[in-house]
Amino acid sequence: MRLSYVWAVFGKEWRDLRSNRLLLGAVAMPAIIFAAIPTGLVAFIQARNLDPNQLGQIQQFIAEFPDLPAKLAAEGFIITNFMAYFLLIPAMVPMALATQSVIGEKQARSLEPQLATPMEVPELLAGKTIAAALPAVIATWGVYVAYGLVNGAIADPRLTRLVFSNVWLTAMVTLVPLICLFSVLLGIVVSSRVTDARTAQQIGGFVVLPIIAIAVAQFFGGQATFSLSQVLIGDLVVLGLIGAVLIVGSWAFDRESILTRLG
Amino acid sequence: MIEVQGLGKRFGAVEAVRDLNFTVGDGEIFGLLGPNGAGKTTTVRMLAGLVVPSSGAAAINGARLGPDSQRIRGMTGILTESPGLHEKLTARQNLAYYGRLYGLSGATLRRAVDRYLGLVGLEAVGDRRVAGFSKGMRQKVAIARALLHEPQVIYLDEPTSGLDPSAAKTVRDFVSTLRNAGRSIVICTHNLDEAERLSDRIAVMRGGFLEVDTPAGLRREGRTAIVRVELAATDGEARRLLDALAGLPFVSAAKALPDGLQVEVGDPRRDNPELVAALVSRGARIVAVREQAATLEEAYLRLVGEAGERDALDISSAA
Repeated sequence: MRLSYVWAVFGKEWRDLRSNRLLLGAVAMPAIIFAAIPTGLVAFIQARNLDPNQLGQIQQFIAEFPDLPAKLAAEGFIITNFMAYFLLIPAMVPMALATQSVIGEKQARSLEPQLATPMEVPELLAGKTIAAALPAVIATWGVYVAYGLVNGAIADPRLTRLVFSNVWLTAMVTLVPLICLFSVLLGIVVSSRVTDARTAQQIGGFVVLPIIAIAVAQFFGGQATFSLSQVLIGDLVVLGLIGAVLIVGSWAFDRESILTRLG
Repeated sequence: MIEVQGLGKRFGAVEAVRDLNFTVGDGEIFGLLGPNGAGKTTTVRMLAGLVVPSSGAAAINGARLGPDSQRIRGMTGILTESPGLHEKLTARQNLAYYGRLYGLSGATLRRAVDRYLGLVGLEAVGDRRVAGFSKGMRQKVAIARALLHEPQVIYLDEPTSGLDPSAAKTVRDFVSTLRNAGRSIVICTHNLDEAERLSDRIAVMRGGFLEVDTPAGLRREGRTAIVRVELAATDGEARRLLDALAGLPFVSAAKALPDGLQVEVGDPRRDNPELVAALVSRGARIVAVREQAATLEEAYLRLVGEAGERDALDISSAA
């Protein structure tokens, strides 16, 4: 794989993205929403001086933070429990960017001139993948850092340490990029088979369901957040899914089949 | 130089192209004519290394289709049927992107982009997004894109589509310049006038080649040419001159007309000078000599029929 080609495609996609405010909004909004909800809750608890005993169902989770006073433990539970939803950002955002990129090119019929150059298909896909995944990774990491710092500032610096725990640092460094990669590849494969971005995103949207299911199961399973072993198992599962999508993708994104489907 | 032997392409049960044999020399323009679905685009895609042939072989400047396809893509320029530009990028950014994909960089890339923006007359709008461009301007950017890396072999699919008459002439003149520079050029078009003006040879195809010849050869439909000789004085003159034609070996038939003569010859370019000389030596006062050939449109319709689109050729569903 020649990096000059990957870099050229990445540069073009990046320019495209910067000029598309709607897509930039699609990158930023989910990240902001997922961070704003728990931060708002923490600020609410902090301002109202609520008794944790009034918080009903989360009582059972407070025991997971034995070193913290009850109110801070309640806030700690909220910010760590919501962090599972941070994994939705790398699942949703790159999917939107990747499908828009491929479908947009199909509609503009701009794939053929690119495929007519000496560039190989994997180099084209690598450039597109990085361009779609990078904004999501940066958005997730940026919001993650801000989330830890803002909640520490609102309530207590010990909340910052909970956010920047070894488990979540590992998840951010490994699981987030892997989910991004899986989401992009799935978006590209789905986009190669359909003709409009909405259909592609609806089909690809199923990728968020397992993550939501895990987040909900975590809550009802009586666990405040993931363990390190669960994150590492998650890494392996996503790696396996990436392998499967790559196999399907190499067949779906063949140079000739792309062109003949374009007509 | 393009050399093609027995080239064919099958998409599932559909045979899109069959048994093509031809060469396109350096400095030659080869026109591909045919109805929609005749296989013109598939032929170009095969030759450009985009689609793998099902049968046969081809070489582009010695590089073999298949094992050398990547090299072939680097030495060919292709103007696709649709401009296929990146709407959010400026014309300059579009060209720079493709320049990089063709291996240009730094000052060489900048010079090439500036040169071709100038050649297609878009230097003043080079920094505007192509989303705001007219169809003709987009076509010009796409032409510049196809030529940016100075390819030796060029494929042009409907090169003047969407252009106004003066822009179309500019493009035709430019294509002629490329021929004079020794490039091998293949043009796919439905524009018969354009094919006739530009092409050195034309292939009429419908799956396979129905006929390959010069534009004049196609117009003559493979038969002898009919030449009309208009005479100043016609009263009995034409009948007298018929005797003079009887001894000329290249004249296959002749008859007197009210205003002159109608003569059948093998090749007007070769035979007309001798014909005129023979008539003048017998005292003929010639006003004009015109070849009376069928139009290319008549020849084309005779070859492909008037049915139009090729039947039942749906490549996308067959692939």
